[in-house]
Amino acid sequence: MSEFKVGVLSCSGEECLSGTISRLATRKVLEELKLVETVTLCLPLYLAGGTEERNFAKVFPTISVDGCDKLCAKRSTEKYSGKISGFIDVSKIIGDENALNTKIIRNKDLMEEHFEMVDQVAAEIVKMIGSISPDAYSGKTFHGCACGIDPKS
Amino acid sequence: MDKKVKVVPCSGIGKVYGLMAREAVLKTVIELCPEKSETVCLAYIVTGDKEVREKIEGFNCITVDGCPKMCASKNVTIAGGIVIEEIKVLDTVKEHKGKKFGSPTMLDADGEVVISEIAEKIAKKINEAN
Repeated sequence: MSEFKVGVLSCSGEECLSGTISRLATRKVLEELKLVETVTLCLPLYLAGGTEERNFAKVFPTISVDGCDKLCAKRSTEKYSGKISGFIDVSKIIGDENALNTKIIRNKDLMEEHFEMVDQVAAEIVKMIGSISPDAYSGKTFHGCACGIDPKS
Repeated sequence: MDKKVKVVPCSGIGKVYGLMAREAVLKTVIELCPEKSETVCLAYIVTGDKEVREKIEGFNCITVDGCPKMCASKNVTIAGGIVIEEIKVLDTVKEHKGKKFGSPTMLDADGEVVISEIAEKIAKKINEAN
């Protein structure tokens, strides 16, 4: 298993489509990205949980995925947990008209075009994970690229 | 004054029960009780912004949580909401032992059955409150 662990935190906003897209894109990266290990946390645990949850962004280089320009996940993470390594505003990727759709939010109502949006956002998350500096992996040993070959060998 | 009951799920991302909370609430506010209820983004509530506090403070709220951490209930309470009902997804799940509900990403057919039951419970409470 890779020693690289990256935190991905979704807003999962319930009021509009972009929250659903942010949640599904984050899940897609967690389930499918194999190059690095990804972990997540339920955002409201910052207040409902304990010290362990509030240390999340201190332990893992963390990327926030927000549905709209309120950037709730980014701001809450930085307020309660620590500096993040990058953030994604889904509305900038899928456009405000799609992002603020209040009629289609449930998973069962999503159509092909919405799953394409999920793929687009997931690709941006992966790209951002790839841009994280190795120095951000606090307390972890950096072994170069994730090909599995130790550069010192 | 907006008298709609605020229905807030945890939307937990690590287990299927968080998705069940989310989908049950969305079914309620979009399909069952759109005139009497609405949801508010829990992530927005967590920010503590003045604007979102004004949406919650002093209003009747129903929270739906997927795990014993009770994130939705705790955060709505911190924001000043009046929690008239705390719904726990696991209470309904217990009545469906042995079933597969899906994943944190997508619900299976049995998951849809359970969220419909939870949504009915939420709707009943909303109707009692109005």
